[in-house]
Amino acid sequence: MVQNRQVYKAPMFPLWAVIAAVGIVLAIATYPFYGAAYVTSLLGKFLCFSIFALSIDLIWGFTGILSLGQGVYFGIGAYFTALSLKINYAAVNPTRYGGTIPDFMEWNGLTELPGFMVPLQNLPFAIIAGLFFATLLAFIFGVITFKRHIYGVYCAVITLAESLILQEAIIEYQAYTGGFNGITDYGTHAQINVLWLILVVTIIFFIIGRILTHSRIGTILKSIRDNDTRAEFMGYNVANYRIFVFCVSSFMAATAGAMYAAWNGIISFLDAGPVFSIEGVIWTAVGGRGTIIGPFIGAFLVKGSEYFLSGKLAWTWQLIMGALFIFVVLVMRDGIVGTIGKWWSARKKRISN
Amino acid sequence: MESIITQFLNGFSVVAILMIAAVGLAVIFGVAGVINMAHGEFIMVGAYTAAVVGQLGGNTFIAIPVAFLVVALLGLVVERSIIQWIYDRPLETLLATWGVGIILQVVMKLIFGPELYYVGAPKILDGGFRTIGLLPFPWYRLFLIVIAIIIMIITYFVLFRSDLGLKVRAVRRNRTMAGCLGIDTAKVDMIIFAFGSGLAGVAGAVLAPIKSVSTTMGFPYAVDSFMVLVLGGVGSLWGVVAGSGLIGEAETILSFIYNSVIGKLLVFIFIVLAIRVFPKGLFGYHERT
Repeated sequence: MVQNRQVYKAPMFPLWAVIAAVGIVLAIATYPFYGAAYVTSLLGKFLCFSIFALSIDLIWGFTGILSLGQGVYFGIGAYFTALSLKINYAAVNPTRYGGTIPDFMEWNGLTELPGFMVPLQNLPFAIIAGLFFATLLAFIFGVITFKRHIYGVYCAVITLAESLILQEAIIEYQAYTGGFNGITDYGTHAQINVLWLILVVTIIFFIIGRILTHSRIGTILKSIRDNDTRAEFMGYNVANYRIFVFCVSSFMAATAGAMYAAWNGIISFLDAGPVFSIEGVIWTAVGGRGTIIGPFIGAFLVKGSEYFLSGKLAWTWQLIMGALFIFVVLVMRDGIVGTIGKWWSARKKRISN
Repeated sequence: MESIITQFLNGFSVVAILMIAAVGLAVIFGVAGVINMAHGEFIMVGAYTAAVVGQLGGNTFIAIPVAFLVVALLGLVVERSIIQWIYDRPLETLLATWGVGIILQVVMKLIFGPELYYVGAPKILDGGFRTIGLLPFPWYRLFLIVIAIIIMIITYFVLFRSDLGLKVRAVRRNRTMAGCLGIDTAKVDMIIFAFGSGLAGVAGAVLAPIKSVSTTMGFPYAVDSFMVLVLGGVGSLWGVVAGSGLIGEAETILSFIYNSVIGKLLVFIFIVLAIRVFPKGLFGYHERT
């Protein structure tokens, strides 16, 4: 006979959070009508970055898997979309040499689109293929490692190597990827509809993230993070939960990448590399890991201050970035949201006493 | 076939470099359980030290002990100021030491400027001898192999034949028990971190003559060293030998047959599949808890 226990459960979407979220969403959605174009372009990018940070938060903040190669999935999504856009753009806008294939292919001696890239002419197919491949890769990786209880430092190091290899492969196979220069000049997609699309996807992902982590699954994920041996003894298949959340996270990262490629109009190997991946981790850590809104705040704050500070002082920004890594680990472990939350609950306790 | 044999011989110098670069990391990871993401930057600092020694009129033989001391001191500072607080959080140590790496890169760039430095090999190591293949085998590569063997022997004696090594192994086996028996575990961590960092400095000093010295030179070596640890395991020094041997040879030969990216990719796939079979590496240390 199962007894019903009464446990206090925080509401899925507290009223104040809904009101604040609606306000922020409205502000971002209407910003292009009255704001500067430059800031609008940043907004779209930052929304993509915040999805990327959320995807890291799901696996690191909630499940305790530190991936230093999340950029791989972002990069796969971005490259599939950008290649498709570029192929379509080149077909109607002949290059300087009169060809109808992307310019970087011509420079490398190709005369027609390679056969395996023909399907990419269809943009929806390319996007779906990018998301599918990213998730499939995450699934394969998860099955190989998590099923054998490989996680922690080992997982972090392997994912780091993975993203370094992808970066080198992109540079090496420049005939197909644009190499060192990346993919540029594939038409402008920074229109207001795209911003709204990015915004809607962001909202959906944050709601999914909240539902996922606030449900029964979320509780199991957190218990895996805190003590995976005990979670296993409780009868949960720890590996399968890890694989599941890793796939969800890589899907999110790939979606963020696809939208980023369309919005930004230029992508390069850096968007798949280890430096970008680790930066994403630090956005999450600054905002507050283990919270849903933390990655959003962290991405906007860190990336925002980078854009406004690094113009003048490139090397100081790097120094600040390095210090930020140490600061977040040593001093502010819970990030901004976590610190405020702790302060708030301590205050409530004090008042009630 | 002949060229494959030449590549196989060349591979030994790659193996030697990997061994020199990875052994410091392996010692630290094996004892303290943290991975130093700034390892590549420590190698870079060692290489710059060699460059400075070179400009002051010294050569690689002088640079090796100097780089050891400089980088060991650097490691000591980093350990005392940052890492000693976070030994119990290995994942976050990755992030903090990554921050240390960024800072080191910026600082070195500010001191030495963005240009590349070139360090000459010692005069007596110029030239080479002919082996089976057509290409001569440079003396410096042989020197690298010798240095790698010497470093492994020194590390072996420090870890397995000295008083300090006894304490280090005791801490690795059972930290709490070792502490109860009167071993200052924090001090052991500190010394071993400085020692491992010093070895990174030596790696930088011997790498300087075959690589142009720049602030970003270290990262690829760091990642290769991580892979050596993952494949070889940290149970014994044989893990470092086996890991570097397999990775170095496989990468050299595969890069020769295909290209460097495919070589790296195949080696990576091989490593991932290998740890599926040996989750703790080939020479993993099996804990009894």
